[in-house]
Amino acid sequence: MEIFLSCLWAYAACIAFCFLFNIRGRALTIASFGGFLGWLCFSLLSPLHNDMIQYFIATVVTAVYSESMARFAKKPATEFQIIALLPFVPGGGIFYTMEYVVIGNNSMFLSTGLHTLGIAGALAMGVLLVSTLVRLFHIARTHREW
Amino acid sequence: MNYSDLVNTAVEAGYLLVANGGEIYRAEESMQRIFRAYGVETGEVFVIPTLIEVTVCTRDGRPITRIKRVPTRTMNLDRVDQVNALCRRIWSDKPQFSEIRAELDRIGKRPTLSFPMQILAYALIGAAFTLFYGGSPRDTAVALFCGAAIRLVTRSLELFRVNSFFINVAASFVAAAIALTAANFDFFLSYDKIIIGSLMNLVPGIAITNFMRDIIAGDLIAGILRLTESVLVATAIAIGAGIALTASRMLLGV
Repeated sequence: MEIFLSCLWAYAACIAFCFLFNIRGRALTIASFGGFLGWLCFSLLSPLHNDMIQYFIATVVTAVYSESMARFAKKPATEFQIIALLPFVPGGGIFYTMEYVVIGNNSMFLSTGLHTLGIAGALAMGVLLVSTLVRLFHIARTHREW
Repeated sequence: MNYSDLVNTAVEAGYLLVANGGEIYRAEESMQRIFRAYGVETGEVFVIPTLIEVTVCTRDGRPITRIKRVPTRTMNLDRVDQVNALCRRIWSDKPQFSEIRAELDRIGKRPTLSFPMQILAYALIGAAFTLFYGGSPRDTAVALFCGAAIRLVTRSLELFRVNSFFINVAASFVAAAIALTAANFDFFLSYDKIIIGSLMNLVPGIAITNFMRDIIAGDLIAGILRLTESVLVATAIAIGAGIALTASRMLLGV
């Protein structure tokens, strides 16, 4: 139930961001559901006890979702991808990194900061993996005569 | 065929893409496609987030170059989507340049969110993320105000053409100050969740994930620009909230 609630809040946050980014109509529903789906994935993977891997797999899921929805709705995949990634943005990591600077706790500052960078890397790798695979697939299909 | 019209049309399309948050590779590909749709294979396109540079060679070998600066970039994915659809149509139908220009003008004038609605959106984003990070309903109520305050501050400083670094410092300072003041009156508030939630409005989440993507995809300069941009914004947010936190420790001993 708690998982479902947090997914719902992620969904609400994504809808608000859709307004801000001028995404309207059917695309709004699709894009914000991506955020819901991504966070649901992340939460369900919590038995893994490794949040990097959780972030990576959840990003791959949202990327696959965005790419397939892009084909379905005939819109650029990034429109859905950007929104779906928002719940993963390490806002907390950035804040606590800063708070450790203010307190003067250098070792915690370093480890939190590196962890935050690692999350950003995991997200980027996930998105990139899927978009590269989709491109390969696309090229293989359009140049079948090779 | 008029090469100047071709270059101008392509640059306008690319400008709309870059200025409204489209990816670099999308802008480059779309412009190349416009050239190829009209049978020009000699088009060279170079795009970074702040600049578009295009050269085509005419049939008699004369080069035509156009450079366009992109001073500000916002997120308006509706326009990116529209330009993308237009580029597909150019590829298949090859319409007249005047028709494309009219269409680009129409896309450039598509309505954006009005300012009061933007305040509402910022407030909702702050509230939703506070709940998402585990805040209580009372935290959320404070976060509504913090989110709205962020938009008010950024807008009023934008009117004075203040640089974006200082805008971010001021906005995150105000948001953190509101949260800390509220936490001073109500000990059950968790100020960290309010601050994180409402600062999600400013965090360059998209830039953070996009810079690595650009770099790995081979757009090195674009990636480095975005990295610099996101590090600057993150630093600015940290400075603003950090000032508020330090001040509250000194003044109130929270």
